[in-house]
Amino acid sequence: MAIKKILIANRGEIAIRITQTAKKMGISTVAIKTAVEPNALYLSFADEVYDNTNDTSPISVFLNIEKLITIALQTRADSLHPGYGFLSENAQLAQNCLNNDIVFIGPSPDSIRDMGNKTIAREIAMANGIPMAGGSKGAINSVEDAIAIASKISYPVIIKAVSGGGGRGMRIVKEDSEMAKMFNLATNEAKKSFNDASVFIEKYIENPRHIEFQVLGDQSGNVIHLGERECSIQRKHQKLFEEAPSTALDSELREQMGSVAIKMAKAAKYYSAGTVEFLLDDKKNFYFMEMNTRIQVEHPITEAITGIDLVEQQIRVANGETLSFGQDDVKFNGWAFECRINSEDVQSNFIPTTGRLEKFSFPEYPYLRLDTGISVGTTVTTNFDSMIAKLIVHGKDRDDAIQKCSKILDETQIIGLKTTIPFFKMLFKNKRFITGDFTTAFIEKQVDQYYDFSEEEKLLAAWFVTKLFVEENLETKHINTNQDNKLNLWLMSKRISTF
Amino acid sequence: VDKKFNTNKLYALASGSEPFEFTLPLKDSISIDGKEYSVLLEYDGLSGAYMIVFNGKTYPVEVIKKQQNKYEIVFNNISHTINVETPFSLGRIKTLESSKKKTDQAYLKAPMPGKIISIMTNEGTKIQRGETILILEAMKMENEILSPINGTISKIHVKANTTVMKDDIMVEIKPD
Repeated sequence: MAIKKILIANRGEIAIRITQTAKKMGISTVAIKTAVEPNALYLSFADEVYDNTNDTSPISVFLNIEKLITIALQTRADSLHPGYGFLSENAQLAQNCLNNDIVFIGPSPDSIRDMGNKTIAREIAMANGIPMAGGSKGAINSVEDAIAIASKISYPVIIKAVSGGGGRGMRIVKEDSEMAKMFNLATNEAKKSFNDASVFIEKYIENPRHIEFQVLGDQSGNVIHLGERECSIQRKHQKLFEEAPSTALDSELREQMGSVAIKMAKAAKYYSAGTVEFLLDDKKNFYFMEMNTRIQVEHPITEAITGIDLVEQQIRVANGETLSFGQDDVKFNGWAFECRINSEDVQSNFIPTTGRLEKFSFPEYPYLRLDTGISVGTTVTTNFDSMIAKLIVHGKDRDDAIQKCSKILDETQIIGLKTTIPFFKMLFKNKRFITGDFTTAFIEKQVDQYYDFSEEEKLLAAWFVTKLFVEENLETKHINTNQDNKLNLWLMSKRISTF
Repeated sequence: VDKKFNTNKLYALASGSEPFEFTLPLKDSISIDGKEYSVLLEYDGLSGAYMIVFNGKTYPVEVIKKQQNKYEIVFNNISHTINVETPFSLGRIKTLESSKKKTDQAYLKAPMPGKIISIMTNEGTKIQRGETILILEAMKMENEILSPINGTISKIHVKANTTVMKDDIMVEIKPD
């Protein structure tokens, strides 16, 4: 192995994730300490910590290409892993690594550039006969052009950022009158998130499923797929829950979509781990959406059912090794879920919450993998996105995964922050989810209530508050001890109000 | 009968829900379908939360706010605002509720700290439930803040490109 030392250009759980595989492979790691979170958990996992707390630059070190290269050279790291988010899909970082003899653990700068530009990605897909939804040829510059294209491909349409990803900068438009507002929202968000205001338009596939394929390629041109991930449970185009495999695919469709994913990766001259995203409509037609050129947040569910360590494969491929297994060697075992535990208030439409984590306790099981970058005492702020942990559960089959996951959630205690846990409790009792009959509209249209709260819990909450009140206020606490203490539940309405 | 409250009943009342009735003195048990179950309440000094042990499960409970008889708690990750009432105060609330329902102003508060990107409406404008009132940027996301009710915008307290704190009143709406 030529790679001996990796600079991790990231933070949080993914930084920890990378250190774990590196350690297993006998590779040392360097983490970067920032002034924003000098006591972060990920720092304790790395072999070496570069202290960047004195950095006065207004941009985060994780977004500063030159600074990252300087740190890599200074710490004598021979390679750099970008994780996800930040500069993970920035071709310039990959190029600058190359120029400085630092191995970039990811695909080539060209692949990143081509797939990162959605209009180029569409052109490549089109040239290779990859199925796609109709849309604009390139970027559109005005509301008038947008309306003209929309009338050609028919409403509804979706506006997307050319340099976009992660669901940001996307807006659905149903009619001409909404176009101006949505166009402006999309371009503003695109400018802010990606520093590129350009957007394009696509036919909006209504109520699709979001199915993505994990691909893996080496520098000799071998590409295989590791099956799909079902990512339809989303809100505001952000994934909240993923599972592998998907209830929507049989082995025939899996093979068909998998081979298209491989074809797309080959067309992009892709190596390393990557993801080809598709929309699947109710007639099982599928359309290429985009290719992500990084390790995904939800990669652990693929690891669970294939037994393949994706970060290890990224490192081996970056090191120039050819894949040591072929498509026929990939076997799928069981069913895996990933619940994203976010600091969000499910009672207020998933609005981010902040606070100090006072208790963060999960049970331990061999079938549970908990990937997290925080611990008790951490204050969750608005500096980073709201994901605080990933709960990855591996069951024998889907029913088993549902049962195991529900049990784990019941045994989980989080104090100090509101999280998405009550949402998952609802999810695992939801009929649609249990039968596997859901689409990307699930959260917005297919569920009545975003959280589960039993009558028993409601009653306990009422008892608790009454108990506090009694303790604080009553003059005489022990009178009439022989009284009948039966509790009358007046009409208990099924719905509890939201605050 | 308790001397201070002059009653042997208390009611725990959450908005939108029927009250739960408890008899004094309050026992450390509750009955469901005629069966009595014990409740164990512990205070965990380390996390600053209460732990309720009931039927083999442990539920963490945090007290967020307290004002006289009004408590805001987070019970197992779900928020509740619950008032404890006597039979007399409960009766008064019910009378009040039925008379004042129509005159209430609705206050649209900032659900999180952030920056106002743009305001999509004007004072005096009629607005439908679910219509966008303004765009609030927080955590790198532009969040559309929607009207919770049908009504008329009576007052806008914020301007574009200014920041708001959590719970700042942004807009007042007069319900239809």
